[in-house]
Amino acid sequence: MWGGARGNDNEKSKGWNVVADVGSHGLVRLKEVAEKGSTAYRWEGGAERWRRKTEMAEACQVCCGLVTMAEVATMLGRRNLLSREDNDEARKQQRQSCARLLEPACWMMVLARVVEEGKNITQGYSHVEQLLDRISNGVLAEDRRSAITELQQVVAESSSAQLAFGAMGFPVLLSVLKEERDDTEIIRGSLETLVSALTPIDAVQGQKNEIRPASMNSDILSRESENISLLLSLLSEDDFYVRYYTLQLLTALLTHFSNRLQESILLIPHGIIRLMDMLMDREVIRNEALLLLTHLTREAEEIQKILVFEGAFEKIFSIIKEEGGSDGGVVVQDCIELLNNLVRNNASNQILLKETIGFEPLISILKLHRGSAYNFTQQKTINLLHALETVDLLLMGGPEGETIKNANRLSNQTAFAQKKIIDHLLMLGAESQWAPVTVRCRALRCIGNLVIRNPQNCDALANKLVGEEPHIEPALNAILRILLRTTVIPEFVAAEYVVKCFCEKNADGQATLASTMIQPSSGSRSNPRDDGAISFGSMLLQALVTSEPNGDLEMCSRACGVLSHILRDNAYSKDRVLQVKLEESVPSLGPPESLLFRLVKYLAFAASTKTGDKSQTITAGSGDGSYIQTIILQLLAIWLADCPNAVCCFLDSPSHLTCLLERVSNPHAGVFVRGLAALVLGECVLHNNSTENGRDAFAVVDAISQKVGLTSYLAQFDELLKAFDSRFSTAVSHKPPPRSSSASMLDVHEVENHNGLDHMEDHPNLTAILDPLFVTFVRKLEAGIREEFVDVYSRAKNKASILPSGLERRDGEVDGDYIKRLKFFVENQCRDMQDLLARNSNLAEELVRSGGHGAVEISAAKPSSGRERIQIDALRNELQEARRQLEMLKSQKAKMEEEVLFYQSTSGKLESDLKSLSDAYNSLEEANHRVESELKGVKIGANLSHSEVERIRTEAREEAQKEMESELNDLLVCLGQEQSKVEKLTTRLVELGDDVEKLLEGIGDEAGLPDEDEDIEEDE
Amino acid sequence: MSYAYLFKYIIIGDTGVGKSCLLLQFTDKRFQPVHDLTIGVEFGARMITIDNKPIKLQIWDTAGQESFRSITRSYYRGAAGALLVYDITRRETFNHLASWLEDARQHANANMTIMLIGNKSDLSHRRAVSTEEGQQFAKEHGLIFMEASAKTAQNVEEAFINTAATIYKKIQDGVFDVSNESYGIKIGYGGIQGPAGGRESSSQAGGCCS
Ligand SMILES: Nc1nc2c(ncn2[C@@H]2O[C@H](COP(=O)(O)OP(=O)(O)OP(=O)(O)O)[C@@H](O)[C@H]2O)c(=O)[nH]1
Ligand SMILES: [Mg+2]
Repeated sequence: MWGGARGNDNEKSKGWNVVADVGSHGLVRLKEVAEKGSTAYRWEGGAERWRRKTEMAEACQVCCGLVTMAEVATMLGRRNLLSREDNDEARKQQRQSCARLLEPACWMMVLARVVEEGKNITQGYSHVEQLLDRISNGVLAEDRRSAITELQQVVAESSSAQLAFGAMGFPVLLSVLKEERDDTEIIRGSLETLVSALTPIDAVQGQKNEIRPASMNSDILSRESENISLLLSLLSEDDFYVRYYTLQLLTALLTHFSNRLQESILLIPHGIIRLMDMLMDREVIRNEALLLLTHLTREAEEIQKILVFEGAFEKIFSIIKEEGGSDGGVVVQDCIELLNNLVRNNASNQILLKETIGFEPLISILKLHRGSAYNFTQQKTINLLHALETVDLLLMGGPEGETIKNANRLSNQTAFAQKKIIDHLLMLGAESQWAPVTVRCRALRCIGNLVIRNPQNCDALANKLVGEEPHIEPALNAILRILLRTTVIPEFVAAEYVVKCFCEKNADGQATLASTMIQPSSGSRSNPRDDGAISFGSMLLQALVTSEPNGDLEMCSRACGVLSHILRDNAYSKDRVLQVKLEESVPSLGPPESLLFRLVKYLAFAASTKTGDKSQTITAGSGDGSYIQTIILQLLAIWLADCPNAVCCFLDSPSHLTCLLERVSNPHAGVFVRGLAALVLGECVLHNNSTENGRDAFAVVDAISQKVGLTSYLAQFDELLKAFDSRFSTAVSHKPPPRSSSASMLDVHEVENHNGLDHMEDHPNLTAILDPLFVTFVRKLEAGIREEFVDVYSRAKNKASILPSGLERRDGEVDGDYIKRLKFFVENQCRDMQDLLARNSNLAEELVRSGGHGAVEISAAKPSSGRERIQIDALRNELQEARRQLEMLKSQKAKMEEEVLFYQSTSGKLESDLKSLSDAYNSLEEANHRVESELKGVKIGANLSHSEVERIRTEAREEAQKEMESELNDLLVCLGQEQSKVEKLTTRLVELGDDVEKLLEGIGDEAGLPDEDEDIEEDE
Repeated sequence: MSYAYLFKYIIIGDTGVGKSCLLLQFTDKRFQPVHDLTIGVEFGARMITIDNKPIKLQIWDTAGQESFRSITRSYYRGAAGALLVYDITRRETFNHLASWLEDARQHANANMTIMLIGNKSDLSHRRAVSTEEGQQFAKEHGLIFMEASAKTAQNVEEAFINTAATIYKKIQDGVFDVSNESYGIKIGYGGIQGPAGGRESSSQAGGCCS
């Protein structure tokens, strides 16, 4: 049915239907087969026959297994469909969709193939088979040769033929190579066929699971190291084509299975030497050998060494020279690529190069002549890039342990410097603006690597002048100008790299640059073209401050990066730059502003412009706008590190602290901004030696714990470090430009097209600044900050509590003084305690918040801070005290009321007593009156002797009067007593503050008494 | 950098006999008491003077361990001289000499000069191979012989220089086709005529590579 499928289109689709049918029926079956593993190929006669075809095919099947067979089938099926020339788009598409349908059905097709005995072998397959048969069994030499030519053509054109060849052809051709050395023509043919079988045919665009017959064939051929030996032995043949094809064949094998090839070649005695010898062969062979050796040496240290032992360096350099150095063609590129392979991470070879040949020949590749300005062909650009890579590789030293590598790097740096490479590099990187930007960048990086951690070379760079009379200026100035002004990102990055390398571990260099930071007088400022005369520091300062606060901070941010390099780990520079005062353009507006203040101003400004724009700020971890904040914060972090003066200056303005706190607590600020702000805050604690209230470490800690909370503050560090980690894990390593010059040019253009700095996802300045060095710095600082926080918390501000011995009375101290001192001490302690309590409550709060409960919920409900809580506590205490007093007052009042009541009732009783007394008096009066009137009546009525009556009357009266008088006396005594009692009560009441008048009023007249009196009446 | 001749040496012998130490003593005048197993090969270089001529020695110190043998064999063919080292305190290293020679004869060029070195002569109290035995073996196989100590530097200089002198003599005698670099000998660009340059170069020698 396969054959049917090759008929017209109708038939073909019918064929596919059958395939699909068979497939779906057989799928279950096939699974069983698959489970049986690699023996599956024996399952049906078809496979059996296939197996018998050749031993090689079996080997292939065994190793590749059933899956490979499935792939083979898919491949063949698809190729049958697609490889036929067909211009009719519609039909082509139809077929392609058919092929797509088949894609998942590859298993089915295997089945179809396996089931369909005989027919399953394609026409191409049988054709290859026939040809091979003619080659191995043919009698006539001519016929065999033509068979081999035909086979080569078939294999070169169709990948199904390549597959078929892979299944059957190798043993046939290998035995030809082994046994028929005398027949040059058939050997050539065999080799050419093998090359074709290993060369990929790019027909169908590579789908992922597509098998590559060329790669499979390479696999088969390279599996036996015996085959490699055989090939190497062919290199000694006289025939040019034999050697040529053999080299091509080996190169093809290397591109597919380099490790395997490297291993087997290493094990074959003189294997590498044989290949090396090819470099001495005629040009075509030599060029081929160069390519092969480049593949062979990739990441194979031992092979690299053997090559060098065999004199590879000498040969490479002599070829480069022959070809015209950097002006030479692609062969020069190949040479340098091989050279790079030999020295990459290979200290031994680097030493040998330096010791025996020296770097001179390498440097001479880099030499530019001033006249050659517009002579940059693509190839020259690529050649130079490769040579610069060699320089870089040598400057990086070997891979060994730090010390060896360091020694090697140092001695390579020195050797390069002795040969004046810096002149050529400056020419390429800083002077020749007509050199392609990729070359300029690469040269700048080399300058960085040349000076890094090498004091002599740093000095050399610092003293170098570039340019031609009269426009001569220091090289570093030229590099700074490139850094500040370039519109090409990679060039900025490269220039920044030079400054960074120059400053690293170069205290003198840093200090020199810092000491030139003087603001040029306004006269020269208006004339910016006069850069030649301006110092490095002034140029830098200008870049830092000329940005208008509402303008673009790009230049400022670049300058910040540079400044951070100058300040890093350099106490002198930090203090020096702290002194830098900025002249206001309008004078007399107060004292001149310091540079530090200006930078914080920019920070605040950058922050303020971001807040409105949330969509951007959320992702702004490294995004385009917040990078300025990040960079300024990074600079501050570097500046404030180990520099109490800078901390003090920074805290001079309370708004600075607030600004940082805002950055840390702002969830819309990027992770770097928050983290770095936290870092700078931490430095304000860690490196704070101020004792001034409000500016000391305590104040900063308190501010942090109040505004941000300790937990969330410390969490910023974790986040920051996490962000660093993910940053470095995603960083891509640099790759050398590929050999194909078209691709290389793409690269070149790509670099040159990047001139919109603002549209970068990750600003290059950040990449340059947030480097591993800075991360190490952050890690160290973070640990220090955490420790310092613990320390601050475990120490009292006034240090009162730690002077117990001072409590003793001093000799001759008077009581008053002693008491004063003790009082002062106690006051201090009291304050400390308040302080500690406040912190304690803050901490407890943090603890509660961070432990278990939803942080949000609590933070919503919590009293806004510990300090307030303390205040509340104090208020509560006061309240309680007041309440207690109130209570006391109340009870006093009640008691008083009780007393009042008592006195009231007493006075009531007295009153009634008084009444009854007066009643008694009245009745006495009455009685007296009656007696008198009786007497009268008696006097009048009875007319008794007057004298008698008179006597009686007098007697009675005297008697009555006596009686009355004594009663009255009693009464008066009583009254007097009562009166004094009332008086006493009154004073008492006055004492108690009660309204005596009112009470007495009540007593005086029955009505109008207040409520209480009613109660009293009721009680009575 | 200028030299009259450049000679390539290899140092071979069992593991632990002191090959790397000999090289280090020769190039850096240092002794390394800890055994740093050599992996593959290590390179060292030094300038010496013979007959007033500056001669650059390129020396490849090979790993003695069996597993590296196939790699180290690649260095035989292109070497002009070989230092075959055994350890006088370990008899088996002496017993293996024959197989080392066998290897050398098979892979090296026939004119390679071989210097037999009985190393660790400072450890005479633990000697397991007598000086005479070493001499005898060298005589039988046409080798130059010396006992040396990488530790005390005794005979180290001499071992390398005598080998060079022998090669130099072979050149003078016309044994080599010097233009064929596969013998491990190269004629330098400068210094071949005047002895003055040679002396200058030799004074820089030593400690030039790490
Ligand atoms: N006492 C003494 N010890 C030596 C002498 N030479 C080498 N050693 C010690 O022998 C040990 C092995 O020395 P190496 O030079 O590393 O041995 P090697 O021959 O290079 O070994 P491989 O690299 O494994 O082939 C080290 O511990 C050395 O200190 C010597 O002359 N005297
Ligand atoms: Mg060693």
